[in-house]
Amino acid sequence: MNFILSSLIFTPLLAALVVLLLPVRRQKAIKAVTLLGTLVQMVLAILLYFRFDGSAFANGQQGYQFVEKLHWIGFSLGTLGRFQIDYFVGVDGISISMVLLTGIIGVIGVISSWTITKNVKGYFLLYLLLLTSVTGCFLALDFFLFYLFFEFMLLPMYFLIGLWGGPKREYAAIKFFIYTLVGSLFILIVMIGLYTSVIDPQATAVQLGLIGAGGTAAPNAILQVQQMLQQNMVSSADMVRTFSIPAMMEPANFIPGSLLHVLSGVELWYLPIRFIAFLLLFAGFAIKVPSVPVHTWLPDAHVEAPTPVSVLLAAILLKVGGYGLIRIVYPIFPDAGAYFSILVGGLGVLSIIYGALNALAMNDLKKLVAYSSVSHMGFVLLGLASLTTEGVNGAVYMMFSHGIISAMLFLVVGVIYDRAHDRAIQNFRGLAKVMPAYTTFVIIAFFASLGLPGFSGFISELLVLLGGFSAPEATGMLPRWLTVVAVFGLLLSAAYYLWALQRMFFGKYWIFPELRAKATITDLNFREYLMLAPLAVLALLFGILPNLLLDKISVAVTGMTQLTLQNGQEQLELVLSSLIR
Amino acid sequence: MTSIILLSIFGIINLFVGFMKSKRILLPLSLLFLAVVFGANLFSWNEAQSYFNHMLTIDNYAVAFTGIMVLATLLLLPFSQHYIEEANENLAEFYSLLLFSLVGAIMMVSYENMLMLFIGIEILSIAMYVLAGSDKRRLRSNEAALKYFLMGAFFTGVLLFGIVLIYGATGSFYLTDIAATAAVNDGTVNAMFTLGLLLLVIGISFKISAAPFHFWAPDVYEGTPTLFTSYMSTVVKIAGVAAFYKLMAAAFAASYAAWFPTLIAITVLTLVVGNIGAVVQTNFKRMLAYSSVSHAGYLLMALVAFNERSDASILFYSLSYALATIVAFAVLQYVSEQRNGDETYAAFNGLGKTNPLLAFAMTVAMCSLSGIPLTAGFFGKLFVFTAVVQDARLMWLVVVAVLMAAVGIYYYFKVVIAMYMQPAADAAKIRIGSFASFMLIFITVFTILLGIAPALVSDLL
Repeated sequence: MNFILSSLIFTPLLAALVVLLLPVRRQKAIKAVTLLGTLVQMVLAILLYFRFDGSAFANGQQGYQFVEKLHWIGFSLGTLGRFQIDYFVGVDGISISMVLLTGIIGVIGVISSWTITKNVKGYFLLYLLLLTSVTGCFLALDFFLFYLFFEFMLLPMYFLIGLWGGPKREYAAIKFFIYTLVGSLFILIVMIGLYTSVIDPQATAVQLGLIGAGGTAAPNAILQVQQMLQQNMVSSADMVRTFSIPAMMEPANFIPGSLLHVLSGVELWYLPIRFIAFLLLFAGFAIKVPSVPVHTWLPDAHVEAPTPVSVLLAAILLKVGGYGLIRIVYPIFPDAGAYFSILVGGLGVLSIIYGALNALAMNDLKKLVAYSSVSHMGFVLLGLASLTTEGVNGAVYMMFSHGIISAMLFLVVGVIYDRAHDRAIQNFRGLAKVMPAYTTFVIIAFFASLGLPGFSGFISELLVLLGGFSAPEATGMLPRWLTVVAVFGLLLSAAYYLWALQRMFFGKYWIFPELRAKATITDLNFREYLMLAPLAVLALLFGILPNLLLDKISVAVTGMTQLTLQNGQEQLELVLSSLIR
Repeated sequence: MTSIILLSIFGIINLFVGFMKSKRILLPLSLLFLAVVFGANLFSWNEAQSYFNHMLTIDNYAVAFTGIMVLATLLLLPFSQHYIEEANENLAEFYSLLLFSLVGAIMMVSYENMLMLFIGIEILSIAMYVLAGSDKRRLRSNEAALKYFLMGAFFTGVLLFGIVLIYGATGSFYLTDIAATAAVNDGTVNAMFTLGLLLLVIGISFKISAAPFHFWAPDVYEGTPTLFTSYMSTVVKIAGVAAFYKLMAAAFAASYAAWFPTLIAITVLTLVVGNIGAVVQTNFKRMLAYSSVSHAGYLLMALVAFNERSDASILFYSLSYALATIVAFAVLQYVSEQRNGDETYAAFNGLGKTNPLLAFAMTVAMCSLSGIPLTAGFFGKLFVFTAVVQDARLMWLVVVAVLMAAVGIYYYFKVVIAMYMQPAADAAKIRIGSFASFMLIFITVFTILLGIAPALVSDLL
């Protein structure tokens, strides 16, 4: 048994406990412990990244690496079988990139938080709790465990925005909370529905006496159980229901006649119940992504949140939405994924264009960056909806690259806000004259984000667009005009970034007179170099050597895509045929 | 049975202790009594036995719910310390009445005969009518007592009418006889039986403050002294729901089709009215009243599911709900006392600074009530929802409940916002005794423990 994943999840929690025990006055010690905790987590994540075998494809119950599985909650339901929740974590090509991202951003966030003065202990406590729950989210393979981390993530974030935020922080915090909560409740509904429909074949085999307790997974026994299940030969009392995501990915594990079985034939509002379940899950994760039209919480949250919290929010928390779509929604409901690809892709393109247009109209630099996030996360949806190898790889790459770049963007905004206590674009001109180093980083961040070749953003956008264009022939998913529209998003993002750059940084140095009294415009200090430089290097590194990441993710992502596509088309026919009957 | 006898004796002893000059001994004594009852009750575990010609049966169901109700009383009593400081002259009577009302509550979870149900409800209710009006100098308290009494008496009449009609249709008060008669008649004996069943459902719905029979709850909750409101919304509600489930499972299982439509309508209405009603409140105590209505809705969902998971779900939900509610009322009591009787959300402003412990306990309680993971309340809801979706056709009910739970977060977090994000109007610290703080920590830890290891309680039944 390997404990590296548990160590990853619980290192921040351990640090949080230490912080809890430290007296409030020892602010230096609190910061040091937090930094140490996140550094350890980052080192573990990097270690995991190198030890991870990118050539292994995870499918079904096997293939996940560094798996840890412990029984957590389980009891008998009498004739209704058994209730079973596992502490089940593992890593595959999809999660490895997210874990790496979390490790890196966790440290950058602490460096950026170094200037926090208000209630330092509480802040870093919540920060560490947030990191634990996000890491848990990315590593959980049990839906219940995932949900637990997913929902628990809300609390620290809510307080981080609500207590350390700007003037309208309460409104922003509660808006964030309600939006995400409604989303996670949709997820809860489907999770409960799935739980009543899916069995754990291995545990059921143990229950039926086909293999001994504690026996390892015997493929024959599992196949036998799955066949018996589909032929209605397993009695309800012997079924071990499960929240395991890999088990849910196999259609053979669905109980015949259950709500979410492909052949259930249940309809709700003229749609098969599986489609409804997909839509609920999609809505839940789309809020987190966020996709237009449920994105409105994001600009508010970003504007009010302090810089490091914005960084975490944009770089890691949003990724949970996209990750959930790739890890949970598409593999479990491939049929509906294929059926609704135009919806998902359409919302993706809508987000790209609408987000970009909004960004173009913003006067607040931070709002501009927030809307650019909405725009870029639209590419994740588009890539995913195409269900092509390039597209989904691009979506995962986009999540990683956007994590790095958006962190940088928000840090850059934070730098000017720290100096001038204002970030309205029209209040500054010619900053390049007084802040040359800062301007360099701004240019790097902006160009990386708008997809200049050589930066990681370019690779991801390229892959997504390739996927989108090949989708009509390769998978029959998206109409070509949709991707054509998405390309205009690139144009728009170039427009808003360059325009902002031109207005704020070029020309003669000038700042708004009322700001002059408070503002001390100086160039970057050491701490700011420390947080911006690594991100700039990473954005370049992953732009020049995309194989660094693609080697680790592509086998798993490609496998998952093909499986989803194949299962999707088979199951779609079954679902539709069961309705006609 | 031992718990009923012990509680009656202890209640009388308490009355006599009241003649002594010092009232200080009353609280420790009552806590001791309750602890003894709690322990004695456990001896009946797995030793089911019937008493009085099978009119009462102490089985595991009764033992488990008795345990929870006694525990709830045990946990909420320590917050009555201030009554002693105020040297309330009728203190002994209040403690005795609490113990006596517990006797009624225990009868409500162990009856086998509808007469026992009726007597249990009456014992419980009459004590509560008095306690609701125990703050006799306050007009609100008097109003609460009168309202509660009038409405209560009316609905007890409805309940009694139902019992009588059932008796007329089946010729018996015994649950088993009724079930037997119903079973041979397809669950619907005749119109009288159906009408009686309906009246029974209405009568008990009133007791657990389910909509549309909840109108008394906000006024009564607001007027009643906080300690007894806490008792009312935990023990009385748990006893009512447990009695309801027992009635339906033991006597009217065959008549499922007859009561199911009514009950599901009541459940949905309760969920919606409770949650929406709570949103618009500015008074924290009234919000808790509506929230208790909404939790009656979640509890009724387990009853609607009506399968093998129902009883265990109700048990777990009751416990999680009771723990959180006790904390909420306790904190409210300390805050409003030291903020000139202010019971609005504004009274909680800045509590995170003026008393971090109270604020933290309250936050955990609010999380538990709204069903945030790693608290008992989350598993409470999860168990209820999983019980309901065993029948796939009821999925829509879970959807409604989940949406209502989202509404719930909004009003539960209003107080959290007030505590941490609003500046305190009055910088004075909120004081709290050391024993009370210990109990608060205990309940909070217990709530989180149940949120991590729910199996401690969830598979008892």
